[in-house]
Amino acid sequence: MEYLNLYANCQLVKGANMSLLCDLQLRKFYHLPNDTAEVLTFLQQGSIDECIAHYGEDNREAITGYIDYVISKELGFIDNRLLTELIPLDLSWDRYSDITNVIIEYNNGIDYTGNFFRELFDLHIQGLEIRYYQPATLDNIRALLEVFNGTTLKYIKLVLPYDEAVTLPVWDRLVKQYPRVKSLLLHTAPVNKVEKVFDGSVSVACFSSSINSCLACGEIRTGYFTANMELFTESQHHNTCLNRKLSVDQHGYIRNCPSMRENFGHVGDTSLQEVLDNPAFHQYANIRKDEIAVCKDCEFRHVCTDCRAYIENPQDRYSKPLKCGYNPYTNTWDDWTEHPLKQTAIAAYGLEEIIK
Amino acid sequence: MPAVLTHQHHIFMSQQILILSQSHLEGATDAVCQWMNHLRIPHLRVNGEDFFHFQSLADLPDNASIATVWYRRKINSFPVKYSFKQPDFQTQYTIKRFLVDEFNGLHAYLFHTIDRPKWLNDPLSEDNLNKLHVLALARKYGIKTPFTEVVTTKAMIIQLLDTHPELIVKPLSECIFLEDASGGQYKMLTKTISPANLQAVPEQFFPSLVQEKINKKFEIRTVYLEGTCYSMAIFSQNNQRTKEDFRDYDTQRPNRTVPYQLPAELEQQLHQLMQSLGFRTGSIDLMVDMQGNYYFLEINPAGQFGMVSYPCNYFLEKKLAQALHKNIMHEEEIHQ
Ligand code: SF4
Repeated sequence: MEYLNLYANCQLVKGANMSLLCDLQLRKFYHLPNDTAEVLTFLQQGSIDECIAHYGEDNREAITGYIDYVISKELGFIDNRLLTELIPLDLSWDRYSDITNVIIEYNNGIDYTGNFFRELFDLHIQGLEIRYYQPATLDNIRALLEVFNGTTLKYIKLVLPYDEAVTLPVWDRLVKQYPRVKSLLLHTAPVNKVEKVFDGSVSVACFSSSINSCLACGEIRTGYFTANMELFTESQHHNTCLNRKLSVDQHGYIRNCPSMRENFGHVGDTSLQEVLDNPAFHQYANIRKDEIAVCKDCEFRHVCTDCRAYIENPQDRYSKPLKCGYNPYTNTWDDWTEHPLKQTAIAAYGLEEIIK
Repeated sequence: MPAVLTHQHHIFMSQQILILSQSHLEGATDAVCQWMNHLRIPHLRVNGEDFFHFQSLADLPDNASIATVWYRRKINSFPVKYSFKQPDFQTQYTIKRFLVDEFNGLHAYLFHTIDRPKWLNDPLSEDNLNKLHVLALARKYGIKTPFTEVVTTKAMIIQLLDTHPELIVKPLSECIFLEDASGGQYKMLTKTISPANLQAVPEQFFPSLVQEKINKKFEIRTVYLEGTCYSMAIFSQNNQRTKEDFRDYDTQRPNRTVPYQLPAELEQQLHQLMQSLGFRTGSIDLMVDMQGNYYFLEINPAGQFGMVSYPCNYFLEKKLAQALHKNIMHEEEIHQ
């Protein structure tokens, strides 16, 4: 008897019509019809022969085809039994910090060395995104990066307007001086292109549109999907957009994300502990994809980063992200900006300007 | 703090966990310390590099304030360099050896000043671990090991190849990395000897460890922590380039690493083996052959557990922080 053993870090996620086989180790995903997923699920309890007997001899070719596919992608292997010693992957999620990621909308007038920021970066934040909507001098950028020397911060992403005077070698020197800077996004650039500096380890992405406010955020695209252990496990328990995230907007107000309506005080007169102790700050942290309308039937739900700032029905916190054009019932992608049922929400958020 | 502890015990709150590590390139220590910060577990991290700032022996960590010790690393690199005006390779090496011995002379003093039971792993056992002894001990507890011999002649190899189709040769100590004057790097890896390449073996050679080659289905790396085994299977078989040693990373087609459950009996035997060595944590290498037999290979008491923790989502850094914390709480209960 032959059996197909699927590796525990290759996880099947079933949607309304289609499924996603997520290879969390190799960070890839495979879009499959639900019929295929059903066969693969059957094979997790029965032999290949039993599977063929169950679905009928007519389906032999299809079934062996699915198995060959799994083997060719190295998602599993054939053995004379199902190896029960290959135990399931524990999908729990935890981090050693109350806040894992921070977004700062830069403003010249804010003191980023103040108490609030000191407490914040004492927390072992992993990732920081700094967004400049206005042009900034290199000295100004360096001065800000200096603030994070000596913290345990792992990576910094810089978003800033393109400046033709600042050439790639200049960025190369800057990221070598501040090795926490792992990626750069230059908006309002003449062309869209991605270049690399620091021996190919840091990407410098030029983006032709301008990013001058957070209204442009929250877009859901297949290019943004990531199949990895971190996102997949967090998504089982928490909201992947807002769980343990904190932002400081350009006016110094503390929010879950710059695009969210509520604020939890100003950095000038609020302590971090006050924010963390405020239950309202955590109100979205546990809204899972499995509970969100439409997303709960979508096969991409655990590789897709949620957005709670712009949703289809601003009155219903469990409604689908507004800026997603995917329909898991028909498996088609449409332009969300043109969807008739989304126009009210688009108007409510004042997004008409940016989607023209 | 558990609620059962009364305020009386605050006097023992000054007791903390001592972490002996190095200042750089030690992600595992960093992660455990970050978990300790997050879980508010009192701890003191002393890196080997810090010894260079001590004013006197009084600055060494003191026994009374330490509940338990996790000895992870000695030092990464000395923050000072000494050399002769006209350095040559030989004297440079001699000086380096001397400085290592000097540093160890100081560092190992802690093994005596801090009570031995407080060490998560017995430091003397850890610093003097002997591969042949560990293999013999494993067999004593009923764990299968590959046939192992130390030989000095080709004649003996030929004789062994009669019973074992292929042998592997590997160091009795640790693999080393060599660099030549032009910057070329050489990595020592496990090599196979078979009748096919026997002609390359000299008649007589330095005493060398040979082992029967196991036709492996997959390898297992187990992180042992306070009686529990957290195991991971490593499938490298379908990848010729890493067939012999999975440390020879292949970035194109990485090995598949997935959570694994060892048989209860083997876990019990490994537990006895670790206890007999005075180890409460360590990583253990095993191998499974085509018939499903388990073979014990070696123990690395300060092994890289991140390479098991992350792929299997075991949170071993957090579990280690909590295990160390239990020792403080246990101390407090004794004082009660
Ligand atoms: S429906 Fe939901 S889960 Fe699916 S792609 Fe859109 S936002 Fe992501």
